[in-house]
Amino acid sequence: MSEMTIHLKIWRQARGETKDSQKSQGRFVDYTVEKVLPEMSFLETLDLLNEKLTRQGQQPVEFDSDCREGICGTCGLVIKGTAHGPNPKTTTCEVRMRHFRDGETITVEPFRAGPFPILKDLVVDRTAFDRIQQQGGFVTANVGSAPDSNAVPIPKLDADKAMDAASCIGCGACVAACPNASASLFVGAKISQLSYLPQGGPERGRRALLMIGQMDREGFGDCSNHGECEAVCPKEISIENIARMRREFFKGALGGHDRKAATGD
Amino acid sequence: MSTFRSHVWSSVGKKMITGSTGLMLVGFVAVHLLGNLTLFIPDRGHAFNAYAYFLEHAVHGWLILAFEAGLLAVFGFHIVSAVTVAWTDKRKARPVGYALVRNAGGKSRKGLPSTSMIVTGLSLAVFVILHVKMFKFTDHPAVVHDGKEMKDLYAVVVAAFKQPLIAGAYVAVMGMLGFHLRHGFWSAFQSLGWNNDRAIVVLENLARVVAVLFAVGFLALPLYILFFVDPSVSGGHR
Amino acid sequence: MSRILDAKIPSGPLADKWDRHEMECPLVAPANRRKFTVIVVGTGLAGGGAAATLGELGYNVLNFCVQDTPRRAHSVAAQGGINASKNYQNDGDSVERLFYDTVKGGDYRSREANVYRLSQLSMGIIDQCVAMGVPFAREYGGTLANRSFGGVQVSRTFYARGQTGQQLLLGVYSALSRQVAAGTVKMFPRHEMLDLVVVDGRARGIVCRDLVTGEMKRYAADAVVLATGGYSPVFYLSTNAVNCSATSIWRAYKRGALFANPCYTQIHPTAIPQLGDYQSKLTLMSESLRNDGRMWVPKAPGDKRRPADIPEAERDYFLERRYPAFGNLVPRDIAARASKVECDAGKGVGNTGFAVYLDFADAIKRLGRDVVADRYGNLFTMYEEIIADDPYHTPMMIYPAPHYTMGGLWVDYNLESTIPGLFVAGEANFSDHGANRLGASALMQGCADGYFVVPRVVAGYLARGGHGKVTTDHEAFGAVEDEVRRRYDALLAVKGSRTVRDFHWDLGRVMWDKVGMARDRTGLEQAITQIRELREAYWHDVKVPGEAADFNKQLEMAGRVADFLELGELMAMDALAREESCGGHFRAEHHTPEGEARRDDENFMHVAAWEHKGDGQAPVRHVEPLVYENIEVKTRSYK
Repeated sequence: MSEMTIHLKIWRQARGETKDSQKSQGRFVDYTVEKVLPEMSFLETLDLLNEKLTRQGQQPVEFDSDCREGICGTCGLVIKGTAHGPNPKTTTCEVRMRHFRDGETITVEPFRAGPFPILKDLVVDRTAFDRIQQQGGFVTANVGSAPDSNAVPIPKLDADKAMDAASCIGCGACVAACPNASASLFVGAKISQLSYLPQGGPERGRRALLMIGQMDREGFGDCSNHGECEAVCPKEISIENIARMRREFFKGALGGHDRKAATGD
Repeated sequence: MSTFRSHVWSSVGKKMITGSTGLMLVGFVAVHLLGNLTLFIPDRGHAFNAYAYFLEHAVHGWLILAFEAGLLAVFGFHIVSAVTVAWTDKRKARPVGYALVRNAGGKSRKGLPSTSMIVTGLSLAVFVILHVKMFKFTDHPAVVHDGKEMKDLYAVVVAAFKQPLIAGAYVAVMGMLGFHLRHGFWSAFQSLGWNNDRAIVVLENLARVVAVLFAVGFLALPLYILFFVDPSVSGGHR
Repeated sequence: MSRILDAKIPSGPLADKWDRHEMECPLVAPANRRKFTVIVVGTGLAGGGAAATLGELGYNVLNFCVQDTPRRAHSVAAQGGINASKNYQNDGDSVERLFYDTVKGGDYRSREANVYRLSQLSMGIIDQCVAMGVPFAREYGGTLANRSFGGVQVSRTFYARGQTGQQLLLGVYSALSRQVAAGTVKMFPRHEMLDLVVVDGRARGIVCRDLVTGEMKRYAADAVVLATGGYSPVFYLSTNAVNCSATSIWRAYKRGALFANPCYTQIHPTAIPQLGDYQSKLTLMSESLRNDGRMWVPKAPGDKRRPADIPEAERDYFLERRYPAFGNLVPRDIAARASKVECDAGKGVGNTGFAVYLDFADAIKRLGRDVVADRYGNLFTMYEEIIADDPYHTPMMIYPAPHYTMGGLWVDYNLESTIPGLFVAGEANFSDHGANRLGASALMQGCADGYFVVPRVVAGYLARGGHGKVTTDHEAFGAVEDEVRRRYDALLAVKGSRTVRDFHWDLGRVMWDKVGMARDRTGLEQAITQIRELREAYWHDVKVPGEAADFNKQLEMAGRVADFLELGELMAMDALAREESCGGHFRAEHHTPEGEARRDDENFMHVAAWEHKGDGQAPVRHVEPLVYENIEVKTRSYK
């Protein structure tokens, strides 16, 4: 139970500062937090800092978090130059202080991407992901119309692959870590998940075309296959899903689903 | 909203263009490399010049024209799509950069080869222009082989690579080609969707092999000429 | 003053009630549906499911959530699975058996008709989710896999690794996304409902705070559905997400909806023990771990040897000893209390003495490390990351943690509260789990309410008509908005010396110590006094930084904690009034000679529903008698 002192270099930005301008008005501010325990989580360290700031009459640092056990996808910071911190397979809330040294200075930045505008301090707006999902990340199956769940057997391998892709928590770390700020892993995971399952098969081509179209309109970058996304993904989603997304896209475009898409919208 | 053209120029479409043109260029470079190997034959450039002559005169000279036109288009698409991906779109997508960026390591494929694609690629583009200027659009002495008068391209090559500066520059650029292929080769398959968790292992290793093979294959030539070809005898070997 | 509540349970045989009721519910013609606006607060399985389904039917839906996107509702965190009486495993399951298990598991304190309906609907949920692309675990033959969960003797739990809640929620989210694209559902993320607007006795709208700008906003509708989850964070440390709150249902309570059984809380037996006072939450380890893990403590109190050094003969596998028939698979309330008993006797392990072992050594010996890793690998990793200890070699340390609240707003069979037009679904209502919820039943209830029950009963309400159009210009909206504004301005104006977290922490201590796993009269009376004092202090000494018109997390929390400080008192009052032990509610005064919970069916076989009578006035306790016509009421035994 050795207490540590941690120095934090945190990005501060008031609300609305970058609403219209692409130029950032934020800045880094240095803080020091004492009595940090190795078993504390990184966000609990920020909590501690905020308690201190509040007591001192200063503005606490705004950051997003919710479940604090790595499943909701709400939290997301770039810690020491890596999305979700230096440890693989973890979300920001799962990062423990034992991975840092006493007296260390830790740089904390928000997820940076044009389509993720900063709302305040370390909080970003990721609703671009929702809009992509709305274009086709679903199976059209009205409630009450479903056949018996065992009526269509699905090979375990396919179900497992679908689950691998479906475990995406939508945190946006893939975008944050991508040198191009591409959302391909996020979009690929959803398209890939549904492509492994017989359900929603008729919508596959259309889904791929529309979701990718929206991804581009949101202003995400293109994927250069660096694979940083897979490395920072807390759920270890593979870039094979990006390859699969591209196959789905190709089939969709060749199959003329773009025409239907064009008249459908 | 969406049309076929917008799909072609979508983020995925651009990568498919980059990938497919990239693989075509790999094919071209492979043929080029095989042709270059004739330079290693100690026959005073006979085979090499004959090969060049064949290329220039096949189908009454139409083959080379068609091929060059195609190649130009392939280069064009490759460069334009790649520059859009790695330069313009990239800058738009992240207007404010990070103060600190570290590679995540682990499963990441990010490294010098991947991050320098735009640098190595554009360098290669400049190189190609100079290369074509140096060997194609230049005065060629004539030589007679098998009763046919043909350009002595071999002499031009030897003259060029006997200059250490040019030979050295070639070696450096071919090193860049290796880097470009190290990421570009497997990446092309990924971009075309021809990949999965098993294939990627094979493709990445293949990319390493292709990168080394092509780089060494090309850079061996200037070194060979610089050090092992006797300049006093046109087309002569020591 | 106390009255007897009518749950409006349809007549007729139990098995036919819902079908008949659906038939009797009036309908709204497709062309008329878009003329009706329905507000749904919450985007979890219940709220999101209801919003999507209502949208699918053609209603105009306004859907609100505090998260930045609907896909993060707390249903996402459910790990283990979802029950359904499919009987795919041929082990004798049926609608009747799921019904029986659920009523028994709830210690005969739930409403028969609701539970039966839940059990009937369970099968359709699985069908629906599979059709929507939820990747449930499967066998090599391609059929769905099942596992068993605590408190039952059949395998009826469907699961998607340890992320079942996430996958079901993403199903809901995808359905919602489709409706947003179709224009039937309008989504309001980062909006917190701060009050309910009642016009002429009917729920007609809400007042929200836009959590980004701080702006107060009004929304009007023809019906309001609350699906805002449970109130476990009243204990401060719980397995719930940090933004889970009681604010929506508490505000509805203060506007006239009754609050039922607030004292029924579920303390989950297998969470990672508390490590220190810096902590922001407790991490749950799925109940499925008890399928293969064995819980034990040293036989001798104060035995501080390392677990490996304690020989087999000196270990007490206390669940297996006390409950030979169910062993480690007893229901949650039983397992949690048994752990507490052992720790109170000084046999607890770890630094604090508030932990017991969950040991996988036998399972690894029997099944091999790979099988264990396949089943629980992600949980083991999570544990190791937090505790820095490898559960493959050293037994896990676990301790009970607040996890789920069976209590909630009182609703009738139609999930309608005592305010007409206000429907409550999922964990936010009280209806289906009695005094204790069985594992994998929360997801079942959320989906059943959201996909199947709410759309039907809300349609019935709208079709019956009798309510003209109301807009947000109505004076009631202005009055409520002013009240909310004043409340938040007041919080900011205190400018005291202690933070919101300080108060929340103190409240949590009181709740855990005195309204936690075991309660007694003295403790509860003390708790009521202490909570009142704390509340008084809160409004005089809390320090909330920043402004109202800004993104201000501390202010959000301040509002929620203010409500917890009121709710905590009601929980203690309810626990005090219920002079019996049942399910998760254990009164130290009422137990059998063996230390098991002793119910008092004669005096307490009812739902207690509290009515708010104004601040500073005592709430009134109404009752809904529970009638068991189809099930024999017995002493719950898992021996």
